[in-house]
Amino acid sequence: MNCQRAREVFPELLDARTAATAHLDARTHLAGCPDCQRDFATLSRTADALGALPDPAPSPRLRRNFYALLEEEKNSAASVRATVERSRRTSVWRWILAPLAGAALVAGGFFAGQRVAAPAAGYSPALAQTDAASRRELEDLRRKVDTMGQLVGYSLLQQQQRPTNDRLRGVLTSALRADENPDDRVINELISALALDPSVNVRLRALDGLFPHADREVVRAGVLASLPREENPIVQVSMIDFLATARDAEARPALEKLVLNEGADASVRTAARRALAQL
Amino acid sequence: MIAALPEIPVAPVPAVRNVGSRPAAVVNAPAQRSDHALMLAVRDGELDALGELFERHHGRLFGYLAKLTGDRSAAEDITQIVFQRMLKYRHTYRDDGSFTAWMYHLARRCATDHYRKANAAPQATDPADLHDHADEAPHAGHRAAARDDHALLHTALARLDRDDREVLLLARFQELSFAEISGILECSVGAAKVRAHRALRQLRDLYFRLQQEAAD
Ligand SMILES: [Zn+2]
Repeated sequence: MNCQRAREVFPELLDARTAATAHLDARTHLAGCPDCQRDFATLSRTADALGALPDPAPSPRLRRNFYALLEEEKNSAASVRATVERSRRTSVWRWILAPLAGAALVAGGFFAGQRVAAPAAGYSPALAQTDAASRRELEDLRRKVDTMGQLVGYSLLQQQQRPTNDRLRGVLTSALRADENPDDRVINELISALALDPSVNVRLRALDGLFPHADREVVRAGVLASLPREENPIVQVSMIDFLATARDAEARPALEKLVLNEGADASVRTAARRALAQL
Repeated sequence: MIAALPEIPVAPVPAVRNVGSRPAAVVNAPAQRSDHALMLAVRDGELDALGELFERHHGRLFGYLAKLTGDRSAAEDITQIVFQRMLKYRHTYRDDGSFTAWMYHLARRCATDHYRKANAAPQATDPADLHDHADEAPHAGHRAAARDDHALLHTALARLDRDDREVLLLARFQELSFAEISGILECSVGAAKVRAHRALRQLRDLYFRLQQEAAD
């Protein structure tokens, strides 16, 4: 073994966890090579010195702040626990009921004398088809909404409506920041813009910014809370699409309400119906 | 200066000191639960379990961050934010997760945010921090040799690139496997090993040069 090869093994020899095992070649070389011995000894001394470096202690403020924070979180968690429990029950029932419903359909088909081959996973092929169809339609709708959103955005920029554009820029910046660093302040900005901003375009962009964070409860809850007060069909359809994609079972009552609402835009009611099928 | 600051060892805090602020359930827990089990409990709503994790890990995390940033008050802020994010993002903790790896992963994010902010805003440096360890110019004379040595090593550490300092501190002290370190640093296991060793060599060179200068 030469010096270079021996030194490649130094990290293992310097690591207490791996030093004891094997590396016989390297150790034999080390025993007979003064250069490598010097190199190894200085590295080893540096590593030891680093290990002996005393750790500073934090001030008592750190512990105080931590337990204050924990208390605060416990209080707020207690207030939302009821909601979370409800959603958990719903999803548990969904898992239990969905296969049962599938099995019931298959059994029904069998007794009706239809020669349907039993699907492997207990899923009705009819259901699977509906699912795929609604997913396609949802994607279609989303594309349309995107195009509309871009048109609105373009015309707004053309008109140089400063206040709106400033807000739009704010939302776009927030969305970018949310992507690389989704802290709650940024997410809250986006949710507030979605719920409160008077501009359709700003609201659409805010929703776009929230899409990557659809897995977060707070984001889904924000979108869901904004849905009933939303009056613009484009934004409504986008929100419905969002909730369907996030598979938010909590959205069911709000969607059912929209389906039954005769005053709502036809495209909105269709979207809500499709979303319900997908949940 | 250093001599004026009492050196407080970072031993695990004696349990008696925390009884007042810690929930009884945690103190009286019959068998010790693993970090992973505790974090899973936090995720499932038993928020008090985070208190136990804080007691187990905050000292070591703070020590790591203090060495990484060379700035005690920043290290304290970042430690605080790491535990805050554990609470906020507890739902994202995975069944197959490693708590320590997750903690250092969060710490890395928080430290990056800290540096980004510090670079954006004019730096407000607390002179106490500088005296703490950043500027330890070697002084001859009465100070204990070990103290000087620590000061030299701190200076050498501070002169490493932050990435090198990070991988070196993670590799040598945090009881993480290289698989976990590579996950935290988002690189391959081989790359993490090579970087850690290269960083140790650089530190060695800086450290010995400073020792030589101090001796002259
Ligand atoms: Zn050699």
